[in-house]
Amino acid sequence: MSGSIFTRNRSVPIFIAALTLLALVVTILSEGYGTGALSVSFTKVLGMTLCLCLAALAMDLVWGYCGILSLGHFAFFGLGGYMIGMWLMTARTEAVVRANLGSAVIPPTEAEISTATALQIFSVVGAQDWPWMWAASGSLILSLLLVVLVPGALALVFGWLAFRSRVTGVYLSILTQAMTLALSLYLFQNDTGLRGNNGLSGLQNIPGLETVGQARISIWFFWASALALGLAYIAAAWMVSGKFGNIIRGIRDDEQRVRFLGYRVEGYKLFVFTLTGVLCGIAGALYYPQAGIINPDEIAPIASIYLAVWVAIGGRGRLYGAVIGAAVVSLLSTYFTGGRAPNIDFGFYEIDWVDWWPVLLGLGFVLVTLFAPKGLGGLVDYIVRKDRA
Amino acid sequence: MIRLFLTVLFGACLILAPAPRATAQDADDLQALLQSQAELVADASRRTVQEVLDLLIASDLPEVPAFLARWQAREVYQRDSDGMFFYVAEEGASPLTLIDITSGEPAGTATSREVSQLRPNRGVQTVIATALVQFQLASDDPVDRLAALDAIGSAPEDSHLPILRDLVATETDADVLEVAEVLLPRLVIAFDADDADRVAAIESLAGNVNLAARAALNPLLVTATGVAETLPEGENIARVLEPGSTALPRDVAYAMLVEADLAPPLLPRDAQRDVLAANVVEGRVGGLPVGQLDTEAARDRAYAALFEAGLAEPAPSEAEIDASLASHVFFETYREPSVAVTDAARATLDGIEMRVGLWRVLDLSLDGLSLASIYFLAAIGLAITFGVMGVINMAHGEFIMIGAYTGYVVQTLVPDYTASIAIAIPLAFAVTFAGGVAMERLVIRWLYHRPLETLLATFGISIALQQIVRQIFGTQARPLTPPDWLAGSVAINDVVSISSIRVAIFLLGAVFFVTLWLILNRTRLGLEVRAVTQNPRMAASMGINPDRINMLTFGLGSGIAGIAGVAIGLFAQVVPDLGSNYIVQSFMTVVVGGVGNIFGTLIGAGMIGGLQKFIEWLNPSNTLAAQTYMILFVILFIQFRPRGIIALRGRAAGD
Repeated sequence: MSGSIFTRNRSVPIFIAALTLLALVVTILSEGYGTGALSVSFTKVLGMTLCLCLAALAMDLVWGYCGILSLGHFAFFGLGGYMIGMWLMTARTEAVVRANLGSAVIPPTEAEISTATALQIFSVVGAQDWPWMWAASGSLILSLLLVVLVPGALALVFGWLAFRSRVTGVYLSILTQAMTLALSLYLFQNDTGLRGNNGLSGLQNIPGLETVGQARISIWFFWASALALGLAYIAAAWMVSGKFGNIIRGIRDDEQRVRFLGYRVEGYKLFVFTLTGVLCGIAGALYYPQAGIINPDEIAPIASIYLAVWVAIGGRGRLYGAVIGAAVVSLLSTYFTGGRAPNIDFGFYEIDWVDWWPVLLGLGFVLVTLFAPKGLGGLVDYIVRKDRA
Repeated sequence: MIRLFLTVLFGACLILAPAPRATAQDADDLQALLQSQAELVADASRRTVQEVLDLLIASDLPEVPAFLARWQAREVYQRDSDGMFFYVAEEGASPLTLIDITSGEPAGTATSREVSQLRPNRGVQTVIATALVQFQLASDDPVDRLAALDAIGSAPEDSHLPILRDLVATETDADVLEVAEVLLPRLVIAFDADDADRVAAIESLAGNVNLAARAALNPLLVTATGVAETLPEGENIARVLEPGSTALPRDVAYAMLVEADLAPPLLPRDAQRDVLAANVVEGRVGGLPVGQLDTEAARDRAYAALFEAGLAEPAPSEAEIDASLASHVFFETYREPSVAVTDAARATLDGIEMRVGLWRVLDLSLDGLSLASIYFLAAIGLAITFGVMGVINMAHGEFIMIGAYTGYVVQTLVPDYTASIAIAIPLAFAVTFAGGVAMERLVIRWLYHRPLETLLATFGISIALQQIVRQIFGTQARPLTPPDWLAGSVAINDVVSISSIRVAIFLLGAVFFVTLWLILNRTRLGLEVRAVTQNPRMAASMGINPDRINMLTFGLGSGIAGIAGVAIGLFAQVVPDLGSNYIVQSFMTVVVGGVGNIFGTLIGAGMIGGLQKFIEWLNPSNTLAAQTYMILFVILFIQFRPRGIIALRGRAAGD
């Protein structure tokens, strides 16, 4: 079956080949395994970009194929990050605490280590006990499960409530936006157990890999992100190519008609919504160990809007469009807001990219929406059509 | 001869004697009077100062109160060369300009080395203050008497009680009497010796919700916790506490026992570890190797071994702790010894709390109403563009922000706050109306058939506008100052008060609502707007130009957002992302209320604002949590009424 998807959807082999090539080039140029032309921090930026592409891919599935404009998918992304972040932070802090207490005359008990670790993590918000949601933070396996389960459960419950009462279109968008706003406000509180606006930090230190060094770890995470993106791309292409794909496209184009044809529209929508929520959670869990820090600002409503904008700029309903849009816009944003882009001096006024990039970006959204509704993907159509002609 | 000698001797005595006291009574000048007591003034002690004060009061000189006030405030100086007393024009200046204490005229200068400041200690200050109060209360000017009552109110003393009683009995000025009658029960409660009088005073406060009344009663009910073998006799016991209850947790109770030397101290784990660490002998503690002491059980065994060897104090076991807790009684006693007084205070205070509670409900409703009117202001422009036209304008918040900045710019040009607000409101409307029309013409009209894409395009406009404003005005907050007549607050009593600005915003919201309702339902424009909204093609065939109507409607919605921005800027900080703080709430307000009519928006704002204040009241001090739960409620609410509180029916609802 997976063989047929490579021939049925021509973008799959091209995409996988391009991704493999990228991974090879990055590895050869990396500090960890190659010539060192790519700095560790840039390798991380590339890895993080792949995670954003994965989230955009999920967004394309739910919006571009199923017609649900969710403005809350970054909440799932952030939740995934928080789930893995709790484990990273606990394990790392516990190792530091063990090292500190190890020099005492009397060896520490487990209870003492746990207390000291909790104090270390939570003293910043004036607490010293483990909150209930950290119960699984001692175990990597459980934390990895939660990366999938928590965003999935939130998407399932939210989607079930929303689709069951036929909230659609604009209303659903606003509702999902309210969901991510509520979640970020909740996390902003100091007493909810996830360190309030301090967020979780030091996530780049992977416990047990202290001796490996960030140069290699960054490559490993790049590979993991590329692998996740590649697998998700194949799975998504397979999903949208068969009957299932036809049904969700039908829901996008005329929900009522699909319902009259006897399909359980709510079930399909709920499945796509939950699945993409889980995909975003996985993307977040890969993203934040590379970013090193996560705080509630990350899941503010604006982040989810950006996710939708990336997909719109890349072109909806074509999978690779979402990936291209996310990669192009986020890399350009990193470049222009990083302060490395040369300023343009007109003599009477000097354009500082850090300041003017958001203006250009915003106007860019407007122009793309008005004049290129197919996004960057429209260019591909143009080229392909020329080929055939 | 002898007579002559005696006369000379007596005369010499008169000259040599240091200012006989008898002459003081006759002095008609404050300086002379003070000089007669110079030593006592300069080095006043609590014991001796009363003598000076009595003289000063008896002298009946008009300058005395002012002098006492300055003396108490350590603002009187003595010149070292001749011992004369002066005020100074400006403390810390060099040289000091001396002021005559009688005439108030400048009397030369002196360096700080040539004079010494009188520094009455705290005890002396108190005595002077009491005298001063007496003085002022005896004054003919009611303003002075009110000031004196104020001074008593801020630092009541037992000596004030008789003075105040006299005043209440003789006072004729109604204002002074009113204040005095409020103050008297407080002093009676605090200082009267007769419990019956105090109880009567307490009961006279029943139903009084003012802070002063509660401040008079609360100190009577201050308790201290105590522990003893049996309940002590003769104490005013408030209640007996059960160890292990929420009022007295078990560990706190045991800590009290330890504090009172009624039980041996506990051995916390880290204290135990310290003892073990202090007794390491050749890598072993109590026979156990140090390396094995990483469990609590092993540590207990090692500690027990140390205790056997007499190297450690015994630690009480759980059973022993329970036994000592059970054999003692824990209680709270009132500081106030009289049972009748505490009972009366408790009963009166309970009654007052009840009333305060009812007033609080009113206060909370006003708070909710005020928050609701802010949400309404922020959302009503959206109710038109989103609710009536179906355009999702993510840049709506930026119109609010631009309105606020318009107000700020006007204020920098027009310094008078009232005039600047009066100019800013129409100007903000004009600016954002123009912005809205431009946006509709350039962007939105191309996207009427793609509503979800308007969202993206307007989002782009939103971040561009925000950044441009950030470029022009910077990221720091800009002041938009309300005029003085809006700065205060309207207070009904000590419990209920609301700031004038919020009242103004409420009124503004009401005006907006009525105006918009009239425009939409009673004018030709409103009729055409509703027609275009329901069926643009049919409207067009009836001779209405949908393009023009859409343009005007969008401009109207944006212009209203601009006015709302001026109002919001008056109490919130004017920053470039001012608008984005309101955008999600505004959308929720419109959606909850029901799209397509402004009446729904009104109800939606009322519900969201009221609910948020209510949740804040359940969980005070946590606005974030209140917002979180409010949003969750909205999400659930939409499940049950997907089309909002007021849902359009039939064709107008569209889909």
